[in-house]
Amino acid sequence: MSTEKQTDTPMVEVRNVHKRFGDLEVLKGINLTVNRGKIISIIGPSGSGKSTLLRSVNHLEVIDEGAILLDGVQVNRPDMKGLAFERHINNIRQNMGMVFQHFNLFPHLSTIDNVTLAPRKLKGMDKKTARDLGMEQLERVGLAEKADVFPNWLSGGQKQRVAIARALAMKPKVMLFDEATSALDPELVEEVNRVMRSLADEHMTMLIVTHEMGFARDVSDWALFMDGGVVVEECTPDKLFSNPDQERTRNFLQKHLGNNH
Amino acid sequence: MEFDFTPVVTYFPTLLKGVGVGTLVAIVVAFMSIVGGLIVAVISIYTNKVVSWPLRFFIWLFMTTPLLLQLYFLYFGLGEWILIPAIVVGILGLGFHYMAYNADIFIATIKSVSNGQYEASRSLGFGHWNTILYIIVPQAFIRSIPQLGNNMILMVKDTSVLSAIGVAELVYASQYAISVSFRPFEFFIVIAIMYYVINILMELGQAWLERQTAYRR
Repeated sequence: MSTEKQTDTPMVEVRNVHKRFGDLEVLKGINLTVNRGKIISIIGPSGSGKSTLLRSVNHLEVIDEGAILLDGVQVNRPDMKGLAFERHINNIRQNMGMVFQHFNLFPHLSTIDNVTLAPRKLKGMDKKTARDLGMEQLERVGLAEKADVFPNWLSGGQKQRVAIARALAMKPKVMLFDEATSALDPELVEEVNRVMRSLADEHMTMLIVTHEMGFARDVSDWALFMDGGVVVEECTPDKLFSNPDQERTRNFLQKHLGNNH
Repeated sequence: MEFDFTPVVTYFPTLLKGVGVGTLVAIVVAFMSIVGGLIVAVISIYTNKVVSWPLRFFIWLFMTTPLLLQLYFLYFGLGEWILIPAIVVGILGLGFHYMAYNADIFIATIKSVSNGQYEASRSLGFGHWNTILYIIVPQAFIRSIPQLGNNMILMVKDTSVLSAIGVAELVYASQYAISVSFRPFEFFIVIAIMYYVINILMELGQAWLERQTAYRR
């Protein structure tokens, strides 16, 4: 973050993170800080490592070097093994909401049960309290009337909004969005973006991997361009999208924004 | 040839008793083979080779040898050591046999649940085994219903094999009546109809269950 914006404490810290798949190094020493209440967007071509980075924050990818911290607590713990690590990571993940490209709603559960399963089973919340909480979250994404419908009866946009509500129900400290609108038909993108904007208005801390350049520019406090496993450039979104310093950033943006200018 | 169904009417209570025994066996075997099959599948997928290979060997063994032979092994083999009632041997034999077939189905359906489901659950904070319990297995079970239904219909028909070790199910119950009445065809026709009716009911039940769960798949 730029210095004038470091008014708060770091919520997510990524320190010199390396990740390899066999011989291929997909993250080559990434550093990144997301301060409390801030929104950071990561853009870049496919294969740049941006999704791997986001998944590493949630420990869905196990990093080979470096450290990732959530609210001062280290997420990856190479020193911990077996059940001890399992307990540690389960606790950490309860504080992180993750939204996937393909929604991954649980098809065997109704919408409300998708939202309340984790609070009930992981926080021991009783059914009534959990339902109230779940309805509150569904209202937040504008889908309270779909509470007892099953995911297969929802549109893609509705599914993603339920997935956001499901993550919010755990009262996470940070929300991670992994190309949340990439699998959606164009006309359904806006309803998901609207929900994400409302979270921004509530000062939710967010780390967003996206192909939606316009959205990233509007909503972010800080933006990163990644390519080939490194952060090529990071600055305010206005600068990144209008006047980037790096040639690679310009080339990428030209390809993606070419028609809009 | 003239049909005479009078002996069937006379011995109808015996046949009904046979249906009762067969039904009891089928219900216990269904429960045992489905629950056991699920446990075998989960263990063989999610644990190490030391545990899973013997289980896979068990599945392979029961799927590649005839049911009748398995029953003889259990009945006469175990009979060398302890005296177990034929009905218990029958339930165990049929139970293990269909446990292997059901495990085979569950292994396929568990593997068919996408990794995204696993990741979504883990990202919420569920542990590995809780994810299997709350997310993977319920979805796999719903996907298994059509094939499980087919297996259970086969199983009901296979209860007749238990007559070979003296379990007093429907076929066995008819044997005495046939031997004194000399009317095998009449009995066989009525028995066939009884199996037919039971299996039609089961197919209707299976279709209903599939409809009830279709939107959850």
